[in-house]
Amino acid sequence: MDNRSAAMSVKPPTKPMLGATAQLTAQLPIDGLGLRPKAAAEAKVHAPDTDAALVDAIRRGDAGSREALYHRFKRRVYALAVRIVGAVDAEEVAQEAFIRIFRGLTKFRGDAALATWIYRLAVNAALSHRSRRAAAAQPEAPDDVEAQVSAEPARGDAVLRARIERALARLPVGYRTVIVLHDVEGLEHEEVAQILGCHVGTSKSQLHKARARLREMLAADGITAAALENG
Amino acid sequence: MTACRTYPTERLSAFVDGDLSATEAAAVRAHAATCPDCTAALADLRALVANTAGLDAPEPPPTLWPSIAGALDKHEPRGWFSIANWRPFAVGALAGAAVVGLAIVALPVLRGTQRGVPAASPGAEMVATSTATVDPLLHEAEAEFAEAAAAYERSIEKLRGLLAREEARWSPQERTRMAERLGRLDDAIARSRELAHRTPGDSAGNEQLFAAYQQKIAFLAAAVHRGGEEGEWDKAGAPTP
Repeated sequence: MDNRSAAMSVKPPTKPMLGATAQLTAQLPIDGLGLRPKAAAEAKVHAPDTDAALVDAIRRGDAGSREALYHRFKRRVYALAVRIVGAVDAEEVAQEAFIRIFRGLTKFRGDAALATWIYRLAVNAALSHRSRRAAAAQPEAPDDVEAQVSAEPARGDAVLRARIERALARLPVGYRTVIVLHDVEGLEHEEVAQILGCHVGTSKSQLHKARARLREMLAADGITAAALENG
Repeated sequence: MTACRTYPTERLSAFVDGDLSATEAAAVRAHAATCPDCTAALADLRALVANTAGLDAPEPPPTLWPSIAGALDKHEPRGWFSIANWRPFAVGALAGAAVVGLAIVALPVLRGTQRGVPAASPGAEMVATSTATVDPLLHEAEAEFAEAAAAYERSIEKLRGLLAREEARWSPQERTRMAERLGRLDDAIARSRELAHRTPGDSAGNEQLFAAYQQKIAFLAAAVHRGGEEGEWDKAGAPTP
C-alpha cells in the first residue's frame, strides 16, 4: 500500500474537527473581540428548556434567550444554507434567515413546531437568495465542497461523505431541498410538506426521485455499492 | 441503479421507506427474493440513506452571531449588514476557504499516515513532526495551506489600504481606538498561528488560525463601510459584516 492509499484508508474519528475545536475554543486568543469561546458563550446563556418558554422569553425582550435560540438552531440553519446555496453564500443566507426568525417570532403562533417554522424560514431565505442570484444573472458561487473532493477513488468515511456532499450539491434544487430536509436533517414528510408548502405525497415522490438521481450521480462518480455499504 | 427493470429505483426507494401499499410492497419483496439485482439495489439504497443521514452539520463561522445581533439591535435596513456589501474584499478569503477545507481535511490524515498512526492522535503528531520522509501529497497540502494564508493576508492588506484612506478623516481618538482593536486582532492571529505551528497536524489549530483571519477581515470591512464612529464598528467588540 503506498502512502496515498494508506492516507485514504485511515478512518478519521466521527466529526473530527468539531470535538477538537470545542476543546481549543476554551483557549481562543480572540476572546474579548466579541468572539467569546463557544462553550463559554453558550454556558453563560441560561435558556429556558422548552422551545415555547424560549420563545416567550425572547418576546419579553430577553437578549440571552435570543442568543440561546441562535445556539440551539445555528448548526441546522447554517447546514441547510450550505447545502442549498453553497458554502460561499451560506453565512449571508443564515444571517438573513435568523433575522427573519427573530423579527417573525412575534407572529409565531405555535401551530407548527418551532423547529419546523425555523426550517421554513431558512429554506425560504435560501431559495430567495438563489432566485435573486438567478435574476441578477450572477454565476453560482463556487462551492468549497468541490475543492474538498479529489479525483481519487473514494476510500474512507471522510472522502465518501465529501463525495456525497458534492453529488448533493449537483442535484436540482427541488430534489436537493427535499433530500436534505428528510434524509440529512431527519424530518418527517409531514414536516417537509409544511416547510415546502406542498402535499405529503409530493414530498415523498420528490424524495424517491431525488435518491434515484443521487444514486446515479454517485455511480457515475465511481462510488460503488460496496463503498456505500462500508461507509 | 439496477440492471433489472421490473422496479425503477424510485419504487425501490419507496419500498425502503415503507411508502408502498401492502400489496405492492409484498410484490416487491417477492420479486427481490429471486432477483439479485434488486436485492443489491435495495441494500445499496439503504446504505445511501444511512450515509446521507450521517453527514456532518458544519459549524457556522464565528462572525455569524455578531452580525445577526448587530442587525437586530440597531434596527437598520438589512442591506447595510449584508455580507454582499463587503464581498469584494472577502473574495480572497473565501477563495482561500476552499483550499483551507481541503487542507484541514487532508493534513491530519496525511500526517497520521506518514507516521503510521491514526490521524486523531495529537500526541503522536507532536512527536513525529520531524519525520525525515516527506510525502509529496503532504507537501502539496502544506503548500496549498500556505497559499490560503497568503490569500487571507492579501485581503487584509487591501482592506488596510482602504481603511488608511478613511482614517485620514477620523479624529485622533477614533484612530487610536481602531489601532487598539487592530492590535488585538493581530495578537489573535499571531497566537493562533503559533498554536497551529505548535500542533501542526491538528486541524483545529489550523481552523482557528483561519477563523482569526476571517474575523479581522470582517472587522476591517465593517470599519471601512461604517466610518470612524466608534459605536458603529465597536459596539460588540467585534464588527458585523
